Amino acid sequence: MSDPTSTNPLYRSRQRRDRLATLLITAGGIGVLLTVIAIAVFLLVEVVPLFWPGADGMSLSALWSAPGTSGEAEFRWLPHRLEEGVVAQASLAPLLWGTLEAAIWALIVAIPLALGAAAHSSLYMTPGLRARMKPTLELMEAMPSVVLGFIAGLVLGPWVERHLAEAVSVVLLLPLAMITLALGHRRLPVPVQRYLSLNSAALWLLPCLLLLVLAAVQLAPLWESWWFAGDLREWVEQRWGLDVQARNAMIVGLAMGFAVIPGIYALAEDALSDVPRNLAEGAQAMGATRWQTLTRVMLPIALPGIFSAIMIGAGRAVGETMIVLMASGNSALMTATPLDGLRSLASSIAIELPEAAPGGTHYRLLLLAALALFLFTFLMNTLAELVRARLRQRFRRSRGDT
Amino acid sequence: MSSVSHFAATSRRIVMLLWLGWVAWLPLPATAHDVAGALNAVGSDTMAELMLRWGEQFEEQRPGVRLQLQVAGSASAPPALIAGTTLLGPMSRPMQDDEKAAFAARHGYAVTPVVVGKDALVVVVNRHNPLERLNRQQLDAIFSDTLACGAEESIDHWQQLGLDDPQGSIHLYGRNAVSGTHGLFRRRALCDGEFKVSVTVSAGSAAVVAAVGDDPRGIGYVGLNHLNADVREVAIADGQRDVRPERQALRDGDYPLVRDLLIYVNRPPETPLPEVERAFLDMVLSPSGQRVVKELGFVALSPSALMAQRRALGLPALAREER
Repeated sequence: MSDPTSTNPLYRSRQRRDRLATLLITAGGIGVLLTVIAIAVFLLVEVVPLFWPGADGMSLSALWSAPGTSGEAEFRWLPHRLEEGVVAQASLAPLLWGTLEAAIWALIVAIPLALGAAAHSSLYMTPGLRARMKPTLELMEAMPSVVLGFIAGLVLGPWVERHLAEAVSVVLLLPLAMITLALGHRRLPVPVQRYLSLNSAALWLLPCLLLLVLAAVQLAPLWESWWFAGDLREWVEQRWGLDVQARNAMIVGLAMGFAVIPGIYALAEDALSDVPRNLAEGAQAMGATRWQTLTRVMLPIALPGIFSAIMIGAGRAVGETMIVLMASGNSALMTATPLDGLRSLASSIAIELPEAAPGGTHYRLLLLAALALFLFTFLMNTLAELVRARLRQRFRRSRGDT
Repeated sequence: MSSVSHFAATSRRIVMLLWLGWVAWLPLPATAHDVAGALNAVGSDTMAELMLRWGEQFEEQRPGVRLQLQVAGSASAPPALIAGTTLLGPMSRPMQDDEKAAFAARHGYAVTPVVVGKDALVVVVNRHNPLERLNRQQLDAIFSDTLACGAEESIDHWQQLGLDDPQGSIHLYGRNAVSGTHGLFRRRALCDGEFKVSVTVSAGSAAVVAAVGDDPRGIGYVGLNHLNADVREVAIADGQRDVRPERQALRDGDYPLVRDLLIYVNRPPETPLPEVERAFLDMVLSPSGQRVVKELGFVALSPSALMAQRRALGLPALAREER
């Protein structure tokens, strides 16, 4: 009877339940880990026979070789040639290029928007508005990528192709108008300024932006007829030799950018909000403006967190399948032109794997692509997680100091 | 080795028992010559709807028979036929030599091809595009950069075809490299050449039609049964004559972009087919079966081709009024 609690039946049953829960959670964790490892091992086992000398006549260098069909050296992805025993013309290079191109365009779209939104919501927004805004933006992540891909590939792409001038005019006018609005805001009389406060800019700016978009679309035919003889597309083609495809890298970047924004926003916002309040308040108490506080105090501290947010976004962009599949045109080109189509590793796997004979060279090549994607996203996520962990540790220490 | 054959024998016995159980469970056939049981077919997804419709029709004729269809693509038919898991393998392309050889090696006799209909590829342009015809060289020059059909130079702009309405460059739409449609077009229209890299690739024929219907500068190729009002078909010029993918031209073999739709049958020589399979093929190769082919937008066999197929299978000749 030295320890009265250990004989209490209620306590004992609670302890048993606790142990059971721990066991289940551990088993779940180990299960997930084992699954990930099993997938990697499966891919490895399926891919390794590719490189056995003599088996398929495949070597690493053959994947990057570029014997053109029409004389000049050119990387081409011709998987149907594999079934005829010609290995040399199935180069993974265009697919890799397409994957990177799509991811880069997506990040170019997503990073400024997501980071801007994160900075605004963590620094300017009133807490009430922010509490509503953040979940809404994060809800965007729940949007199925098929839907985004469908809209981009079947609605937006053809529209941009037909109304190039309108699209360009929106893209050019919007940032310009934003800067003008920001400059104009300071010159407004103080009561109006207070009424249209920056803290709730998200509410009153939105209708303004919608009007601006409408104006840009309405004005487009005007300047198109002034400067480009009424047809911008024709002009672009004559002047630069560029041909606008309905499904191109820009469209993919736009759609995938929207898919990536919520992830980057959420992590970057967390990183900025995690910066100890006293630092920002101290800076503002000493007379720093909010912009100065952001750029001189908060950004440097939150930088690793923002970096990891971008890396998670990059990982998602590289592995994203449906959007690229539906909006990219899937032509395995190796051009840097944003108006051409592209083809990514993930969409090649999606299109071709169901029809590739299991165990064949084509099948193994596609699994090699899958392995490459797996390793890349794994690396990105691990790196991002490490950086975040380091950051969290640093905050804890800095909080301990003060 | 003996253990393997022992295992095979055991498993065959188990399958037999299961089959007997299945048959016993079925309601008794109404009349003596009705067939009962399950009909298996493994193969082409192009022909999936066709097989399903035939299956429905067959089930109406012979209550108690069920068609079990697996459609994983034409490539899935040969393995299933070789392994003996099915007697019928619908395929939208002819079997390759190595597939035939593997079948013969396993069973000791050749696989029997049955042509059950035809599918044609058509070249389509946007409905506003006035293009009437293309000859074989132009077609190749538009879609390929190998120019294997003998064209002088690649055609990249609509002006090169003498058109000034859709201006600018030609936008190409096609299918993914492992589809039968892609393979057929590459062999027949590009003379075994290679597509341009700039072809926009879709996973399905319907997507190609939708894209061309949306793009005034577009041109693409699809199966005949996918045509709709947004696109126009283009005639293939053969010498002085335009060949359109119409019934007569397809049946006579004038139209170049045609493929046979086949059902490969595992049938030992000198042995009649099992009753169910025989009855099914009899129905497929009958006027009512061929009507289904037409309804789904494929091309039915000509009466003489139909007779030839029936004779090859040892089916009775059709009565005169049935033809």
